[in-house]
Amino acid sequence: MSAVREAVVLPLIFLTVTLLGGVQLGRTVSLVPPSLFTLVLSTMLLAALVRSGALAPDRLLAGSRSGLANANGVVVLATLFAAASQLLGMLTPRSGLPLFFVSVFLFVLLLNTLVAQPDRVRLLRSLAVILGSALVLKFVILAALSGPSGSRTARVLVALFDAATFGTIAQEPQPPGGGYLAFFAAGLFLIGVGALPTPRPGSSSGLPALQTHPQR
Amino acid sequence: MREPVIRGVGLVASLGYAAAVAWLYATQPQNVAQVTGGFASMVGVYKIDAQAFADGIRFFRGNQFVEARAALQRADPAERDAHTQFYIAYSYYREGWGRLYNDDALFGKGVAAVDKAIALAPGGRLAVDDPDLQMRSADELRAELQRGMTREASDFNPLRVFGARK
Repeated sequence: MSAVREAVVLPLIFLTVTLLGGVQLGRTVSLVPPSLFTLVLSTMLLAALVRSGALAPDRLLAGSRSGLANANGVVVLATLFAAASQLLGMLTPRSGLPLFFVSVFLFVLLLNTLVAQPDRVRLLRSLAVILGSALVLKFVILAALSGPSGSRTARVLVALFDAATFGTIAQEPQPPGGGYLAFFAAGLFLIGVGALPTPRPGSSSGLPALQTHPQR
Repeated sequence: MREPVIRGVGLVASLGYAAAVAWLYATQPQNVAQVTGGFASMVGVYKIDAQAFADGIRFFRGNQFVEARAALQRADPAERDAHTQFYIAYSYYREGWGRLYNDDALFGKGVAAVDKAIALAPGGRLAVDDPDLQMRSADELRAELQRGMTREASDFNPLRVFGARK
């Protein structure tokens, strides 16, 4: 991996995602820090990236590298963690049953990915599907259910649906810019994850290989 | 370019960007003026609009408080100047003060503005040398605003109507 990518491009991408991921558009613009749960999800995502070979930590932090290079590696890992936390928080609904179900959905999907240990390409595809489906759920489906509808029939249907679910489905209306912002942040994050250093040919993952001794 | 130079520049730029992101999260600016003003004040180059400030003071002395606040807010769009925020708070006090009762909503906004002024003042101490004012420190103004919002027995004292606005 080139020094430019490691020292400039990746931190720039991940810090931008960190910034955009916390933006909550509404009557005022606010920046929301990550919740504890998204920190847990982000940790699981990083573990999945390492196990699948999409991220080789030994190419970012190693005794053989200079102090400056290791500092760049620390910045990449820290910003990747922050970006993942903020993006997952951005794609999670804010309240009610959708918050609960999407949190469980993300947790189970990431746990499954972690255990299945797919290769790099499959993990990147899986990650794109996870982020994409969460984005569609929050910014398309739930936004359509919660947004101010145009026709009277649609408003009546939404009101009936809201009453039938005791108001636990409807979310605060999303401004149109929110979905575009999330789309851009998710795309940028996937580009960044795709550009992370991978294990060198010959090693199965970025982690040191375990010594196995045959049974005598 | 040599690799250590790229790495060094990248590290400094990344840490600077990370600090800016952390600052944005900590201060929660609401508009571009607050963002640019915040960064300008961090490097010590933030300046208020002197003409708008003078207009604001003129309106304030003429008891035109809404106009005064509009001008003062224009003078300090980033809300980074303690003196301007003090005058905004004082305008809420003077507008909200009444012989029979005070306007709690305006006094509440005054407390928020004076808190901002105190937070911006070095060491939290803010004194304004203005002979037109009877309260010349942010602490006095804050205490008066809070007293005005508190319900107490002295509120029902009929002699209160003879009280004077500060």
